[in-house]
Amino acid sequence: MIGENKLLTTLAGLVKRTKGDGVSVCAHAKTRRVSRFAYEAIHQDLRQESMGVTVKVIHNRRIGIAGAETLEAASLNRCARAAATIARHAPQQRDLPALPQRFRTRDRADYAPATARLPATECVAALKALLRICQGAGAALAGSLVTGEDEFAVVNCAGVACYAASTVASAKLVTMYRRLSGYASGTHHDIAQLDLEALLKRSLAQSLSQVEPVTLPLGTYEVILEPEAVAELVSWLGYTAFGAKAVEERSSCLAGRLGDQLMDRRITIYDDGNDPEMLRMPFDFEGTPKQRVTLIDSGRAAGIVYDTLYGMRFGRPSTGHGMPPGETEGPLPLHLGMAPGAATMEELLRACPRGVLIPRFHYVNGLLNPREAVMTGLTREGAWLIEEGRLTRPVTTMRFTQSMLEAFSHVAGVGKTRGLIADPSQELGCAVVPALHLKKFAFTGRSEP
Amino acid sequence: MADRSVPRDLIESLIRDLKRRGVDYADVRWERLLHEHLLAEQGCVTTVSLSESAGIGIRVLLKGSWGFASTPHVTKARLARTVADAIDLARASAAVNKQPRPLAPVEPVKARHRSPCAVDPFDVPLSKKLDYLLWANQALLGPDAIRRASSHMDFFKRRKLFCSTDGAQIEQVIVESGAGLEVVAQSGGEVQTRSFPNSHHGALAQAGFEYVKRLDLVGGASTAREEALHLLRAKPPRAGQTTVILHPTQVVMQLHESCGHPAELDRVLGQELSYAGGSFLIPEALNRLQYGSRLVNIIADATVASGVGSFGFDDEGVPARRVELVRDGRFVGYLSSRESAARLKLPSSGGMMRADGWSVPPLIRMTNVNLEPGEGTLEELMRNVKRGYLLSTNKSWSIDDRRLNFQFTTEIGWEILEGRLGAIVKNPLYTGMTPQFWGRCTGVGRREDWQLWGVPNCAKGEPMQLMHVGHGAPYARFDHVSVAAAT
Repeated sequence: MIGENKLLTTLAGLVKRTKGDGVSVCAHAKTRRVSRFAYEAIHQDLRQESMGVTVKVIHNRRIGIAGAETLEAASLNRCARAAATIARHAPQQRDLPALPQRFRTRDRADYAPATARLPATECVAALKALLRICQGAGAALAGSLVTGEDEFAVVNCAGVACYAASTVASAKLVTMYRRLSGYASGTHHDIAQLDLEALLKRSLAQSLSQVEPVTLPLGTYEVILEPEAVAELVSWLGYTAFGAKAVEERSSCLAGRLGDQLMDRRITIYDDGNDPEMLRMPFDFEGTPKQRVTLIDSGRAAGIVYDTLYGMRFGRPSTGHGMPPGETEGPLPLHLGMAPGAATMEELLRACPRGVLIPRFHYVNGLLNPREAVMTGLTREGAWLIEEGRLTRPVTTMRFTQSMLEAFSHVAGVGKTRGLIADPSQELGCAVVPALHLKKFAFTGRSEP
Repeated sequence: MADRSVPRDLIESLIRDLKRRGVDYADVRWERLLHEHLLAEQGCVTTVSLSESAGIGIRVLLKGSWGFASTPHVTKARLARTVADAIDLARASAAVNKQPRPLAPVEPVKARHRSPCAVDPFDVPLSKKLDYLLWANQALLGPDAIRRASSHMDFFKRRKLFCSTDGAQIEQVIVESGAGLEVVAQSGGEVQTRSFPNSHHGALAQAGFEYVKRLDLVGGASTAREEALHLLRAKPPRAGQTTVILHPTQVVMQLHESCGHPAELDRVLGQELSYAGGSFLIPEALNRLQYGSRLVNIIADATVASGVGSFGFDDEGVPARRVELVRDGRFVGYLSSRESAARLKLPSSGGMMRADGWSVPPLIRMTNVNLEPGEGTLEELMRNVKRGYLLSTNKSWSIDDRRLNFQFTTEIGWEILEGRLGAIVKNPLYTGMTPQFWGRCTGVGRREDWQLWGVPNCAKGEPMQLMHVGHGAPYARFDHVSVAAAT
C-alpha cells in the first residue's frame, strides 16, 4: 500500500511543479491477487501491482493529457512535461468547464487490512477445503478467487485533494456434475465476510441433480432473474442509457423521455457511490464528490449522470461521475442500485406458474438498438424450469433478445434481498440489486444441449 | 518521453537468481508501451493523450505450479520482492497441484524483431496528425440530423525483452498505427451509426503513420455520413431464412467469435470456465469434426505482414508460426501454448502465448486468424442469389459459452434481388449455430478483396487482458441463414 500521505504529497508536488492555467492529477494504485482453478488444479496464481497516473494540463483553453504508471519523480515530471507540450499544441476547446474546487476527503471505510495481506498459503488452504467438498460430492470445480486493494487520489490546483483506499474480495465458483453445472459468486470488501462454503453449496445445489435438462420451445416466458443476472442488464443500461453523452447523442433510451413512465412502478434505479452496501468511492476522477442520482424513479425516467463537461453542456452541476481524463465514453454510473421489494426468493418462485430461473447471463450485448434498450444474451449454468412454483428441470442454453424497457414494464415481483455484484479482476464499479420476477421475456434462440 | 534503455543487466541477474533458487522454469518479461490517442468530435479536437506503461512480469514454474508476480518498480529491491512473490505463489499452489506440468520443447534463441514501420508515428509532429484528424472530422459534419461526428487516431509502440531460464533472450519492438471515423445520425426516435473503415476502433495495423494516410479518412467520411442519413429512412430486413453475403468487416467478427475463441486450447481444457466459458472444439473433435463446408480454410498466421496479431516470438519465446485451424472445412488445429500443447501431446506449441502488458501473465491468444480467399468477385458471389442480403460492419455480437449459438447485428445491409444489390436495410440481425453456419458457406471471395483488419479489444482472462488480434477475410456467402430486424 502506498498510503494517503505519500500519494497525496506526491500528486500535490506534481501539481505545484507543473505550469498551466489549470492542472489536475488523478491516480489509481491497485494490487490484485488472482487464483484461477479448474479440475483440481490451480492453473494461474498471480500477484500484480499497478499504478496509473494521469495528468491534465490546461493552457490557454487548450488541454493536454498524459499518463504514467509509476510514482517515480522523474517519470511523473516527464509525464507532466508531455501533458504541457500537448496542451501548447492542441486546438482550443469550445467547452471548457472549471476544475472542481476545494474538496478534500480521506476515506478508508471499506479497507480491511486482512484482505489486502491475505497470504498465498491461506488462499490455497481455502481452495483445498472447497475442492475436498466437491470431491466428496463427486463434482468438479472451476473458478477464481480474487483479493486486492485500491487507492484512488485526485489533486488539482483549485484545492481538490481526495484520497480513498478500499479492499475487495471476490469468488466465482462453477461446479460440474454429469451434464449439469451450477454457479455462485460473491463479493465483499472484507474477505472474512465472504462465505466460500455457502457459495459452493449454492453452486452445488444447482448442479447436483440426476434430472436430465430440458430443451424448451422458443417463445416468451416468465423469468426469475437472480441478482447477478439483473446486474448485467442494469449495468448495460448504465453504459447505454444513463450517461449524459448517450443522451446528448440521442442514442439513450432516456433521451427526450425524462419524466415519462418507461418501466413498471416497482422499478427504481439509482447510482450512489456512498451507499455502504456498494464498493464505495466517494469522489470521481475529476475530484467531484459523488452524488446519489435517481435514474428511474418508480418506473419514471428521472435523471442521468454528469461530469463537469457534460454538466456544463446541459446547464447542470456535475453529479460526480467523471471518468479518468482521456476516457471518451463521457460520464458513467459505476455504483448502480435497484430498490428492493418485499418478496423472498421462495415467494417469487411460488408466484411463478411456469417460467425459467436464471442465476446469470452469458455474453449480454446491449448495442443492438440502444434507443429501445434491446439486448441479447444467453443463459448458462444453473438455469432451471419453474413449474407451479417449483424448480423441476434444468434448462439447456437459451438466447434472449428483448427490449429492457418492455421487460422491466412487466414486473411480477421484486426480491427483498439484494446482492452486491462486482468483478474486481475485470473492471471498476459494482451493482447492488435484488432478484426480479418478470412476466415477459422473449427467448429467440437456443444452443445444442 | 525519451525511450530509456532496456534494463538488460538487471533482467539477466534476475534470471541467474531464479536459476539459483531451483525453479523448474522461469521467464522474465520487461515491457514499455507508449500509446497516443487523438480524438476529434463535432469539428473540435477533444482528446490528446499520451500514456507510458513500463514494468516487469516474472513467471515461475515450480513443482508443477505457476506463480506470476509483476511490478512497475524496476529496482533491485522491488524486483527481489517480486521474485519472492512469484515463488511463494507457485509453492503455495503446489499444495493443490499433484500433476506434473511439462512444457512442449522450444529452442531458446537470442534474437531481435522489429515490426515494419516506414514513418514512426511518434516522430510525426502532433500538429500534422491533428490537422489530418480535424480534416477528416469536418468532412463528416453535415445536416442537423448528424448528432455526433467523431474521428480518432491511435499509435502504439511496444518494446519488450523476454529472457528465460532456458537461455532465450529476445528483444522486440512493435509499432501499430490506426484510425477511424464514426457518425451518428438521428431523426425522431431513429438513431443510426456508420463507421469507416470499420467499427470497433476503425483500422489498426503494424505499420507507421503511412498506414493512416493510406486509409483515406476524408474520402470515407462522406460515404459514412450519407449512409447514416440514408439508414434513418431505410426499412428493416424481412425476417426469415435467406442467403447472406458478409462483407469482410463482418467476416472478421464471425471468425473471431466462432472460430478463433473456440480454438483456444486453454478454453478447451476448462481454464476459462468461470468467466469466458468453454468450447465445443473438444479434443475428440480434432481432425474429425467437419467445422464448415469444403470452401472453408482458416489459418492462424503470426507471420503476416502488418497484422496486429503478428510478432517475431510469442511471450514464451516460441517463434511466430502459421497454424492451420480448419482445412477444407475440417477442424485440424488449435491455438496453443507450450503447456497446453504438451497436455494434448502435440509436437510443439503453436506460439500463441501473449500478455497485453508487463503486469499480467501470457494467455493463449489469437494471432491473425484468417479466412483464406477463394474465387469470385462480389458480383459473382451475388449472381445466383434470387433474394438475400449483403451485411457490413459489425454493430453487436454475442455467442454462447461453448461458442455455438451466435447472434450478430451489423450497421448496414443491402437487399440482394436477382443477383443485384438493392435498397439499404437498417438494423439487420443474423443468427445461427457455428458448424451449421460455416457448413452452409457456399462461396468465398477472391484474394483481391481479402482485407486484413486489426481488432484491438479482444477481452479474455482474469484479470481481463485486452489483446490486439488480426483477422483477414474476403467476402463470404452463406445459405439458409436466419435473418431478422433488431427492433
